[in-house]
Amino acid sequence: MRGRRALLVVAIAAVQFAMFEAALRIWGHSEAAPSFQALFMPDPVIGYRLRPNARTRFVTAEFDTTIAINSQGVRDDRNIGPKPAGERRIVVLGDSLVLSVQVDARQTFCHLLEERLNASETSRADGPRVHYRVINAGVQGYGPVEELLFYREVARAFAPDLVIETIFVGNDAEDAVASAAKLAAHASTTPNDSSLSDALSESVISRLRRIVRRSMVLQVLRLRVVSVTDRLSNWASPPEPPLQTYAEKPAARIADGLRISRQCVEAIAADAAGIHARTMVLLIPARFQVDEADYGHLKEAVEGTGGHLIRDAASARFNEALSTLAIPRIDALPALRAALPGPDVFFQQTVHLTPRGHQIVAAVLDEFVRRQGG
Amino acid sequence: MVFNSLQFLWFFPVVYALYRACTPLFGVDRGLRAENGLLLVASYYFYAAWDYRFLALLAASTIVDYSCGLAMNRLTRERQRRVIMALSIAFNLSLLGFFKYFNFFADNLAALAAALGWRLDFVTLRVLLPIGISFYTFVTMSYVIDVYRRDIQPTRNFVDFAVFVAYFPHLVAGPILRATKLLPQIQRPRRITGEQIRSGLWLIAWGFFQKIFVADNLAPLASRVFAHGSHPAGVNVLLGVYAFAFQIYGDFAGYSNIARGTSKLMGIELIENFRFPYLVRTPQAFWRHWHISLSTWLRDYLYIPLGGSRGTERQTRRNLIITMLLGGLWHGAAWTFVLWGFYQGVLLVLFRPHAAIIESWSGIRRIAAWVVMFHLTCAGWLIFRAPSIRDFAALTGGLFSNFAPSAVDVTGLLVPLVLYVTPLAVIHLVEARADDVLAVLRLPVGARYFVYSATLYLILLFGNFGGAEFIYFQF
Repeated sequence: MRGRRALLVVAIAAVQFAMFEAALRIWGHSEAAPSFQALFMPDPVIGYRLRPNARTRFVTAEFDTTIAINSQGVRDDRNIGPKPAGERRIVVLGDSLVLSVQVDARQTFCHLLEERLNASETSRADGPRVHYRVINAGVQGYGPVEELLFYREVARAFAPDLVIETIFVGNDAEDAVASAAKLAAHASTTPNDSSLSDALSESVISRLRRIVRRSMVLQVLRLRVVSVTDRLSNWASPPEPPLQTYAEKPAARIADGLRISRQCVEAIAADAAGIHARTMVLLIPARFQVDEADYGHLKEAVEGTGGHLIRDAASARFNEALSTLAIPRIDALPALRAALPGPDVFFQQTVHLTPRGHQIVAAVLDEFVRRQGG
Repeated sequence: MVFNSLQFLWFFPVVYALYRACTPLFGVDRGLRAENGLLLVASYYFYAAWDYRFLALLAASTIVDYSCGLAMNRLTRERQRRVIMALSIAFNLSLLGFFKYFNFFADNLAALAAALGWRLDFVTLRVLLPIGISFYTFVTMSYVIDVYRRDIQPTRNFVDFAVFVAYFPHLVAGPILRATKLLPQIQRPRRITGEQIRSGLWLIAWGFFQKIFVADNLAPLASRVFAHGSHPAGVNVLLGVYAFAFQIYGDFAGYSNIARGTSKLMGIELIENFRFPYLVRTPQAFWRHWHISLSTWLRDYLYIPLGGSRGTERQTRRNLIITMLLGGLWHGAAWTFVLWGFYQGVLLVLFRPHAAIIESWSGIRRIAAWVVMFHLTCAGWLIFRAPSIRDFAALTGGLFSNFAPSAVDVTGLLVPLVLYVTPLAVIHLVEARADDVLAVLRLPVGARYFVYSATLYLILLFGNFGGAEFIYFQF
């Protein structure tokens, strides 16, 4: 009797496993999904990059987008050929805030910036007109180190006239520290996002892990287990308060991260200058710097771990760290903050920009680029 | 501490293992004392995990009402007993008034004075609301009133009384328990049955499903629509209100189920707090099925003492409005809660002459009545969830002037709403058909395992494990 019941339980669990697996493959796209992970490929220098000609649909409760990667490995439905006469190219380096899988390509601030710049050229009465091409060179999970390496490996070949390095002040200092070894090694294959690296790493050949990777259900369950074990291990040794870049007294590595970030920006600028391109820096804030309710929750959470959150500390620290460089710099924080109250500028479940947030950043950049002479 | 935290994941097994060891180790009588002592320590730890400073308030409330109970029992003159009861109620309401309503009244008085051209400089105290204060003050007040009414004998055992007040499954978000129901269970040896363990485990699993799968996944959908100053199309306001209706239900009913389930595992039965409230057809029935422990409290300690329905029709209407107004204010210090309470009172008054007839309807009229009642409930949630009266007016205006069915946010609102609500609705219909909130336990074995397995999969695969607090903690 007991054996029969156990068999029945196993059979039901197996049937439901298959049902959920099918459902997740059809409807439940997430960053853990094989289809999403297929957007990336290992890279011996950077760790990983976007896979040329990859294409996927990304659906969550908040958005439904189709992501197309061109043959050069950037998010664009067109290939980037030799630069025609009269074209000015802007390459925007950055992480997921630039790649923006949450919105359609035409809604990203890169595309909107291109439209705005070209519209102003069209309406211009005097002087020779130029055509702007803005290239979205953002990659999920990148930090300043990977962005420098990506520029050298991929984006420099686009022959940009202007390089915009986008710094996400929320985690780029931490990312820079985590990836510092790549700067020296130039051949590390260890990306900074563990879930991504787990999914991409070809070096770990384990039958079990392959099975897990092939199953959406097991992928999600694995992430749950990782999340719980991380939180449990944080108990064993009391964790430092989160969001260290915003801490009143940040950990020593934050100063290192700021220094490495500055070095990366400087290296991008020097490299760009070698091909007569200029460089600018765009700072993007974290959602809680804009959203009051989010700030309230996080402040409470950080104080609960014994820390003290200073809302704009990361923006101030990056501004200060980059101030010694003679590179024009714009912070999107005031414009994003001024946009509220109103429709959200960041999605609720992610820290990424909504279409309205992209419009605001595009307007900020448009004005900044033109002020700096195009 | 919240039920959906890692802390609770180790707290409860440890407490439960010790609890189950008490009787085998110490025998029945000493075992009971050990169990109650353990429950008291565990409950105070549970509360202190949120903020240990407010333990003093909980302890003060316990000591005052324990002493008042004993004092009333010693006194024989009605006048003296009434004075003791009044002192106890004044003490409890003062706690509640200070911590929950001081700033609300001070801010509004200052605003009123400013409107009249006067300047009043109040000391505005940004006091933190002690979690669960509305629940445990109502618990202790009901005890004192019951002793005064001689409905119960006061307990002489302080530990028993302190466990009754602080018992961790119900401490911070109810159900609001009566001494008549809980104290006897604390005072006598408990025998835990296999049925209690089975139903307790199911209630815990189902409560987590309601909280983590339904409520926490619907929360961002509702938040987007109700964000301060947002102007969504009317059709999206409607979907946002539906999302909030199921969010608040999943959140609160989920908490109540986890509380009932954990308590059942310890052999203590808590009352049912929700019974398919969205399947009713009148406001009268809604309040018999929604937050049952609060509505019965308000009925027994406010509505009936005000006169209930014993006077004229006009007096009955007045009593209903007053009761629901105060019930609204119980939920929080904001005009939206006052308006929500008033709205609920008006609904009760309007439906009063027709409730029995509507309840007897069948067929299409029954379905129509259900649809109307569900939307009347949702209209109430629009008031309840709106950040301010002004936002409520703007959202309501959008419903009537900017409905635009073509603007429906299909992927952002409609699809997730349907996905998260459907499994809940299916189980509810099964339970409602059997008129049994534990109907799943009585399904044929195959169907039962199918539900257990699906519930676990849905929690693990799609649950929101952000550890969001329960909405009713703020009340």
